[in-house]
Amino acid sequence: MMFRENPVPARELSVNLRSPRAFALQFAFVSFLGAVVYFAWPKHVEAGRLVGTGAAQNLFNLFFLGQYFLLAILAPTFAAGSITGEKERKTYELLLASPLKPSMILFGKLFSSMAYIVVLILSTLPLMILCYLLGGIALSEVVRAYIVFFFSAVTFGLLSLACSSYFSRTSSALLVSYLVILPLALVCVGLTRTDPAAEDTVTRDFISIAILPPWCLAIWTIVTALVTRRLLRPPDVGSEGKEVVDEEEEMKYAIGVVIDRDLFPDKLFAPAKRNDLMPDGTNPVLDKELRSEIFSQGTLMLRVVIQVSMLLSIPLMAVFLFWKPDQASNYIAYVIIFNMLVGPVFSAGSVTGERERKTLPLLLTTLLGPGRIVWAKLIAALRVSTVLTFLLTEQLFLAYIFVPQLQAVFWRLAIDLLIIAVSCLATTSIGLLCSALARKTSVAMIMTYLFILILFVGPVGAKMYLERTVDSRIDEDRIEVFSVLSPFAATFSLPEASSDESRGGASAGASASGANAASSWMIVGNVAAPLWGVFLAFYPPFCAVLYGLTYLAFRRRWWRAGIE
Amino acid sequence: MIEVSHFTKRFGEFIAVDDLSFTIDRGETFGFIGPNGAGKSTTIRFLATLLRPTSGEGRIAGHSVVEEPMAVRKVVGFMPDDFGVYDGMKVWEFLDFFAVAYEIPRDRRRTIIGQVLDLLDLTHKKDDYVNGLSKGMKQRLCLAKTLVHDPPVLILDEPASGLDPRARLEMKALLNELRRMGKTILVSSHILSELADFCTSIGIIERGRLLAAGSIQEIQRRLRSHRVLRARVSDESADRAASILRDHLSIRSVESFDHSITAEFEGDDDDMARLLRTLVTAGIGVVSFAEEELSLEEVFMMITKGVVN
Repeated sequence: MMFRENPVPARELSVNLRSPRAFALQFAFVSFLGAVVYFAWPKHVEAGRLVGTGAAQNLFNLFFLGQYFLLAILAPTFAAGSITGEKERKTYELLLASPLKPSMILFGKLFSSMAYIVVLILSTLPLMILCYLLGGIALSEVVRAYIVFFFSAVTFGLLSLACSSYFSRTSSALLVSYLVILPLALVCVGLTRTDPAAEDTVTRDFISIAILPPWCLAIWTIVTALVTRRLLRPPDVGSEGKEVVDEEEEMKYAIGVVIDRDLFPDKLFAPAKRNDLMPDGTNPVLDKELRSEIFSQGTLMLRVVIQVSMLLSIPLMAVFLFWKPDQASNYIAYVIIFNMLVGPVFSAGSVTGERERKTLPLLLTTLLGPGRIVWAKLIAALRVSTVLTFLLTEQLFLAYIFVPQLQAVFWRLAIDLLIIAVSCLATTSIGLLCSALARKTSVAMIMTYLFILILFVGPVGAKMYLERTVDSRIDEDRIEVFSVLSPFAATFSLPEASSDESRGGASAGASASGANAASSWMIVGNVAAPLWGVFLAFYPPFCAVLYGLTYLAFRRRWWRAGIE
Repeated sequence: MIEVSHFTKRFGEFIAVDDLSFTIDRGETFGFIGPNGAGKSTTIRFLATLLRPTSGEGRIAGHSVVEEPMAVRKVVGFMPDDFGVYDGMKVWEFLDFFAVAYEIPRDRRRTIIGQVLDLLDLTHKKDDYVNGLSKGMKQRLCLAKTLVHDPPVLILDEPASGLDPRARLEMKALLNELRRMGKTILVSSHILSELADFCTSIGIIERGRLLAAGSIQEIQRRLRSHRVLRARVSDESADRAASILRDHLSIRSVESFDHSITAEFEGDDDDMARLLRTLVTAGIGVVSFAEEELSLEEVFMMITKGVVN
């Protein structure tokens, strides 16, 4: 019933699986995991002989991590746009008015989103079997890994679908999905991954088999009930759609954070609406983006983003800034991850959004040149993304005031803030470039996330990967040079405060670990420069180049090429 | 005022517009008509500087559409067929946005926005949010934004599409008002009867080719080798009237039914006046006497069916 008489999965699958993008993604997915296994493969494996348990477990663990990481990234890209896509294509009401029950629609959407993910997971089965053949891994281990994959994938898919049903734009749904899913994925992988050093596999197996599935089932039940109720009595169609969002009315019923344009810091990213005409010399696009369009779909997305990020920041602040100040870089890493997620939302849709809302022909036939339009889009997106990201740095200031170990390395606060600011600039610039190149916001968002992941996470991930693969076939030093691209590498290259409270004072500041210090310097020409310094020097001109490319792409693709 | 010469646009192998040339004089209202997919919107987007031509040139008020897009945008007000509005903006904010984008100084903006709102009868809506307006109001608002920099040339792509009958009549009245204000207007529409009322000339396009251009009367004459007269006379003189017409040199054939007479006529307006005088002098009770004109729909159907070719 759910499947045979349900046209939703048939339609979605035929569209999703037939596209060249599906083939390309599958190719990239299997290639990436294949590369992970290939480069971590023990060098001295003799035919017919099993290698030690440690090497096989290590390889299996890497494979599990790689696959889980890709799963958490990919699930929202398929599911978060499945209902918002209907809204954007104006087919939502047609679908809801059909005889299909909400549960069938939800199941169809979930099935079609997850079917492709399942195809991806199954296509890596031969790689998993290769690891199994090395010996030292029990079959139950493989089965356990797939159970974790299955329950996680469906949970991530359902959560993304829930976001998709609550928001009207794919970009908002995608962002909130990531904000919810990534912390869950981190917790899940932390509790269920295979660690070769850990001897207590019973607890891990118990969590994977006995704890995870019932929790997931509980989440499925709650989310399904919420989404089907929303699909049955949709508050966002017809006259109920309330195309005009009344901010004051919305604030009356807001739970938790309330955004007030007249108060600091909210007015930094959402200045008050104008009561009179714009002054001469104003860039109208910048004014429009900040004063009118920022809350055009309501404040829900921003309120959720601010609340979730603040909520997550509390335990992280307690642990990494107050309890273990020698690991303060981890908190900076959290702020950067937040910006990686939030930054693209405001930039990746800035050009494609105009096209999708059919306002681009109106804008392009004015006397505004491409330079002014692109500049306004950059500044507006950068301003919102930077202010939202810097809201999370309040905790840093608190820690530097109250924690003596951090006071000893007070200067790194300034550098960390610079690293965060440069990261904001980079994520916004990349998003804007992708927006000028793509035709749809959802595609621009995914392109942006991919680009940022490669630049920011790629070098650090590759380095961690190489450190864990003893018999690596790649020279670690070759990878090291790419660390300058990563803000994570930059912040972790800074000296940490001492963990020894009794030492305190000035000596604490100098107690950077040996390993940290060794990777903190880059040789640029004949000069040794701190990695964070190279990072800070590299990105501003790089972003200028990205801006130039965005200008050219916008001018060539939209401003003078025509809108089809 | 508007000159298109040998404009061709290809999208890959598909030829959307093929060697299109026409001219629109100052103060003219040019109706651009053709079936869906004929190339109307492609031509309009080219003239609005949104589309590069594969070959050919366009000039508006002496400025090249290809080489001087900014100069063209200063003198053109463009209303696309399918457009959106910015969410979260009020009507006056929307117009202020475009007024700033057209570099109108602040001290003139308030007056201009007021005038445009008055002209489009939107003053009572000025504090409403644009995304909450009805389709007809949005069309008016888009026309208001098109007029905000007082362009001498208006390019309007299907300005009345999707409107209810009342809104269509109001839009027609607005376009008539703009014509009286001396604007040169290029307007495309599917509602041919409305175009016929206020267009001084038309261009008919099909499959990217211009099939006919000129005033509606000119095109009618080209379609018919003769003019058709329709007369209605009093009952007792019908046979005699038909006989007089048959004997007249400028009449090719006569058909009469009941007391209505249809005749194929070859001559100018003076000949037609003389013919009427002959009938009246002969004591025929003429109730009505007029040339039968083709409607724009008939012209369109004849031309796009390939009758001309």
